[in-house]
Amino acid sequence: MLIPLAILCLKKKQPAFNKPVVIYLWTALAINVTIDAIWKLKTILPHPYNTNNYLYNIHSIIRVLLFSSFFIKLNQQFLSKTKRIAPYIFLGFVLINFIFYQNFFDYGQLSSRLLSFEAVIMMFYCMQYYLFKITDDEEPSKKQPDFWIVTGLGIYYTVNFFIFLLYNELTLRLHNFAISLWNIHNFTYTILCVFIAKGLYETNE
Amino acid sequence: MKQTNDDIRLLLFMGIAVMLSLFASILLIFIFFQRKKYQYQQKIQRLHQTQQNQLIEAAVRSEETERHRIAEELHDEVGAILSASKLHLQGVKINVIDKNNEPRYEKGQELLDMAIKQVRGISHNLHSSILKEFGLNEAIRHFVEKITNNDLIFITTDLDDSYTTQANENDISIYRMVQELMNNILKHARPKKIHITSTYNHDALNISIFHNGKGLSHAQYEELKFNKQGLGLKAIQTRIILLKGEVSFNHKPEGYYINISIPRTITI
Repeated sequence: MLIPLAILCLKKKQPAFNKPVVIYLWTALAINVTIDAIWKLKTILPHPYNTNNYLYNIHSIIRVLLFSSFFIKLNQQFLSKTKRIAPYIFLGFVLINFIFYQNFFDYGQLSSRLLSFEAVIMMFYCMQYYLFKITDDEEPSKKQPDFWIVTGLGIYYTVNFFIFLLYNELTLRLHNFAISLWNIHNFTYTILCVFIAKGLYETNE
Repeated sequence: MKQTNDDIRLLLFMGIAVMLSLFASILLIFIFFQRKKYQYQQKIQRLHQTQQNQLIEAAVRSEETERHRIAEELHDEVGAILSASKLHLQGVKINVIDKNNEPRYEKGQELLDMAIKQVRGISHNLHSSILKEFGLNEAIRHFVEKITNNDLIFITTDLDDSYTTQANENDISIYRMVQELMNNILKHARPKKIHITSTYNHDALNISIFHNGKGLSHAQYEELKFNKQGLGLKAIQTRIILLKGEVSFNHKPEGYYINISIPRTITI
């Protein structure tokens, strides 16, 4: 997380479409620090407060909303309505899922369903971005900050989709394997951060 | 139970592998299309550039043709009429009674001589016959000789005689640029001293015009060349584009330098 934030300090002026990414970076830093702090103080904190699973849910919701905003702000005239509706569909799904099926503040596990649905939405955004760029007539410029951010997201979600989808099942059946799998998630998250850093660095402003 | 766990593992790794390969394929297709698009745009840009060069070339050529035509008309038509007039005027006999008209007669003859000389000068200037017959260096020297006035301005040349013409059209363009720049210097800079040098190597012909008047900086040139009134500078820029050369304006403590560099391999 510190890599893109360091780049952000060097290149403070970012184009409008990168604003949600910048907000995401600071929010994600705060959430991740809190997740780590809770994990480290697990034994000190009282019982219902010594879990950080709900923070992953919050992180997921914020991520979808901010990156949806990023894709909408790119102003690509392709599937515009669908792109605008997608975050509302996601929010509808979140409400239905956590009202009727799962507990948002589940002590034992994070929501596999939420994370995998997030991955589906984000992969849709990435695919439509590439499709638009392929069909677009505009001359490709040498610096494409948006390309790096989208590719980082693409790598992160394609690798993690099945991890998210099966994570609850794996924690029940293969607990240690599930924990080791999270290292793959962390590695791809680092890749995402590096790509975001590259995207922020390539900006022309 | 173990079989199910293995199945989940397999499903997970297969899923990740399939997703990754799908994503990699899309990314490769994307990069391939972007590259194609980039190459296509480059090609279009090159075609556009070629077309623009052809237009410039046509404009410069037609300007030269027009100059040539006007020069011939002046020399053959107007010049001939003026010479005939002079002949007729010389045939007129001034009597003793017409003594009062003698000064007018002599003034008329003087003006006629001046007109013939001027027409001849303009015609030669437009025609650039010296350039065609004796080459670029001789044409520049001749031009300098014509405009030098030792009392007011001191103009010297140091031209590289190893220069050999590759294309006559290029020389005309170079000569016209020197002419235009010299006219501009005389008109606006009001220098006391001008020195023209040229060096010729395997890469390019470099011409440098130094003067100690009030010259232009390169930034001013860049600004003025797009100015509607700066027709002369625009013409220089057009010819520079045509010759794929470079022109730069520099200011040093001793004065101003205008450097023209024309690549050797250029043929119009």
